[in-house]
Amino acid sequence: MEMKSEDELVEEVLSGDHRSFELLLQPYRQGLLSMAYRMTGNLEEAKEVCQDALIKVYRHLSRFKKGRSFKSWIYKITVNSAYDSMRKKKKYEDLLESQKKVGLSAGHDPEKQLLNTEIKAKIETCLQGLSPKEKATFLLRDGEGFSIQEASEILKCSSISIRTHLSRARKKIREQFEKINFADTKEVRR
Amino acid sequence: MNCKKVRRLLPLMVGSEIPQSKILSLKAHLEECPKCRQEYDSYNLSLEQTKEWLAKDRIDWEEYEWQQALQSAIKDKKPEVTALVSWPFKKAWAYSIIGVLVVALTLLLIIRPSIMQKKMGLGSEKFTEEQAQLFRSSPEESEQDVVSMTLVSKETGLKIVWFLNKNFELEVKE
Repeated sequence: MEMKSEDELVEEVLSGDHRSFELLLQPYRQGLLSMAYRMTGNLEEAKEVCQDALIKVYRHLSRFKKGRSFKSWIYKITVNSAYDSMRKKKKYEDLLESQKKVGLSAGHDPEKQLLNTEIKAKIETCLQGLSPKEKATFLLRDGEGFSIQEASEILKCSSISIRTHLSRARKKIREQFEKINFADTKEVRR
Repeated sequence: MNCKKVRRLLPLMVGSEIPQSKILSLKAHLEECPKCRQEYDSYNLSLEQTKEWLAKDRIDWEEYEWQQALQSAIKDKKPEVTALVSWPFKKAWAYSIIGVLVVALTLLLIIRPSIMQKKMGLGSEKFTEEQAQLFRSSPEESEQDVVSMTLVSKETGLKIVWFLNKNFELEVKE
C-alpha cells in the first residue's frame, strides 16, 4: 500500500475521514505518552495530558501549516498541555515526592514493570533536579531526537536559551548519574 | 582555550551542539588536559546511558486506551475550518484595531456636528432672523404644506404634476 504523506492525511482528516486521524498519530503514540510521562511524573496524568493534546490537535488541525513538521507541531501541543497540567495542579512542587512512587504506579504488564522498575527509578533520579524547561529541553533533544532549532520552535524560545537549558540539564544529569554509579559500585562491593 | 571555558562547553560538546571551529580547539585541549578529558568522558557516559534508558523505557498505550483517546478527541467537535483568507494578525491586534476605530468613530460623531454648526454659524447666539430666512423658500411659507412631484415622459414630453399634502394625500389644484 502506498504511504501517504502527513499533509495528505491532514487533508483527509479535515475532509471528515476519521481513520486518517489515527494513521496520522500512530507513529507518535509512544513518544507523546513517554514525553508527557517524563514531564508530569505520573502515568495517569500523562494520559490526561495526551488526551487533552489529541483533542486540541483534532480541533485545530486546520491551523497546521502544510510543509512544516507535523511532529514538532504535536509535540508543541503536548508540551504545552503538560505545562498547563503541572501549573493547574501545582504539580511540580510535589513532583519530587510523587516520583518516588512512579516506579510502582507505571505500566500494566507486571513482568515488564518489574524489569523496567530499575531503569525507571534511574531515569527519574537523573531528571529529578531539573526545572520544567530544562527537562522539556533535554527530553526533546536527547529523548526524542529533535534538533536545537526544532526544540526552540516547540518551546517558543531562542536557540541560545535552548543551548543554555540543555547545558544545565546535562550538567545536573551527570551529577545525578555519578551518584547512581557511586551507589551501584558500593552495592557491588558489599 | 583554558580549562574553565572548556568545561563550560563540555555539556554541549557531547551532543555536537557547538560550532566546528570551536570543536578543534576543544579537542586539542582535551588531548593535553587529563582532568578535562575525564570530565568529558563522564558527560559522554552519563548522556549515552540516559539516552539508552530513555529508549528502553518507552511507554506505550494499552490498545483500547489509545482507541478511546482517539475516539474522544474525534467525537465531540469537528475540526475548525479555516477562512479562505487567513487572518494575518493576532487576535489581540485585531481587537485593539477595532477598539481604536470605535473610539475614533465616536469622537468623530461627537466633534463633527459642533464643527459643522460653527462653519454654518448655527447654534451660536449670532444666528439671526435674516439667516433663518435663507432656509425658507419665501417669507410667507414658513412651513412647507404641499409637496409636488412631476413626471415627464421622454417620448411625448407630456408632464404630469402631482401635489401631495402633509398626509401624502393627492390635492387637486384649481
